Amino acid sequence: MFGNYDVPVNIAQEGISLSIQTEGGSLRYIRECLGEKVEKIILTNSSKILINPIEPLSKPKELTPYLLIELGNALVVEPKATQKVFMKFPIEIGVFISKDGDLEILDVFTLLKPKFTLYGDPRIGFICKYFKSDVYPSVPAADCLHEGVIELNITNTTTSWIEVTKAIFNAYGMKIYYNDNLVSMRANMKVKGAQIAESDFIDSPFETEMRKSLELYAVRKLSIASTKSVMELGL
Amino acid sequence: MILNKVVYGSVTLLDIVIALVVLLIAFLVAKILSLYLRRFLKEKVAKGHLEIIAKVVSYTIIIVAVLAILPTIGIKLSGLLVAGGIAGLAIGFASQSIIGNLISGIFLMIERPIKIGNSVNIEGTGGIVEDIRIISTTIRTFDGLYIRVPNQKVFTASITNFVANVARRFEYVVGIRYSDDADKALETIKNIIEDHPLALKNPAPQVFVDNLGDSSVNIIVRIWAPSTEWFGVKTELLWKIKKAIEKEGIEIPFPQRVLWFANEPKAQEVRTSESHDSGSH
Repeated sequence: MFGNYDVPVNIAQEGISLSIQTEGGSLRYIRECLGEKVEKIILTNSSKILINPIEPLSKPKELTPYLLIELGNALVVEPKATQKVFMKFPIEIGVFISKDGDLEILDVFTLLKPKFTLYGDPRIGFICKYFKSDVYPSVPAADCLHEGVIELNITNTTTSWIEVTKAIFNAYGMKIYYNDNLVSMRANMKVKGAQIAESDFIDSPFETEMRKSLELYAVRKLSIASTKSVMELGL
Repeated sequence: MILNKVVYGSVTLLDIVIALVVLLIAFLVAKILSLYLRRFLKEKVAKGHLEIIAKVVSYTIIIVAVLAILPTIGIKLSGLLVAGGIAGLAIGFASQSIIGNLISGIFLMIERPIKIGNSVNIEGTGGIVEDIRIISTTIRTFDGLYIRVPNQKVFTASITNFVANVARRFEYVVGIRYSDDADKALETIKNIIEDHPLALKNPAPQVFVDNLGDSSVNIIVRIWAPSTEWFGVKTELLWKIKKAIEKEGIEIPFPQRVLWFANEPKAQEVRTSESHDSGSH
């Protein structure tokens, strides 16, 4: 499903129905997914369409740039060590329209049930998009329309054993890569204390032939203060 | 030359012109700088902070300019201190509420119990904070009215800020019949909450039988939601819970009372004997 398309477009896959048809001098965009229907008229006659996985933070409402992944099994990391593990992360699907290299987001949808959570306490914590994933020693099988796989390099910089039960990522820094079978991200998590960790993303794919996703925040031309996320209220 | 003409004391027309020009330049610089700050910091600083920074910079420039031109127009700052004692007393009485509001405004900006855009209730006036000025605070009520509250009142009033914390909890009491399966009701309500994206996963919602009431078994439902979204979640979930439990055959009972009449057994006996008599004929 992911990739570049020329108009007209007709996609029907896993409960997603997406079509872009020429109608006079304009285009009619219709998308149906999980009971939600979006219909738009695009005033152009020659545009290209790009569909790719994007940062999972727009649906149902853009409330936060943070994604919290709760680990199905707690990770215990030895002191002064770096370990590589794999987890799944939720994806949203972005439909972009472009003309002469100028891209604009047309639609965002997801096949997953979204959920939010609070990290920390109501006074000094923050709202995060919530997802629960098991931890895998190697790349797990994942349905690329629903989930991606994140490679997490956890470094315990302390001299004590550390238990990690969750990881928080900042969507502004996400670097998503995809091919026909897999959506992936690579990230580092540096544990700096029993309650403190910092995470950021690595801008490289699992496999060389994977394509880089167009980032939603890049299209919006936002000035980003930081792409890291800091966990100071518990791991 | 006309500009060298003495207007009063040793102050010439030129001094007054210089003072006016300095004041004008100060106003222009303050305006340009606050505009530039608003544009430059627009995406880097929260709207509430930005307004306060712009105002503080603007007022500071104007106050410094006024203090700078006072000696030029023959007002000695040292003399002002003496005269200020007497004048201050008079002005103080005349403008104590303005000064009170001004000082309260400064303290409000320092303490910051409310910010621009916050949803608040200030002694019964609920709404969105539109602006915090040096003398007063303006609020747009939830039904769209403009209300100006003097800062002194804001500062001394008890303030409820609905969005000071990122999440807040709300609660329902759901009554079910004594004949209904309470476990099934709890399960149904938990599933509805789990399905709602904005009902927070953590802090976890609480659903439990709280008490055995006169007419119903009362279930308490406590849910956390993002502060900016809680009202929509509250109204949406209540109806979903009502529909879901009714779909499971569980009903929310009306208050009921069983009445026994003192002469009911006698009346029943009469009715019974009458029916026997009519049957024998």
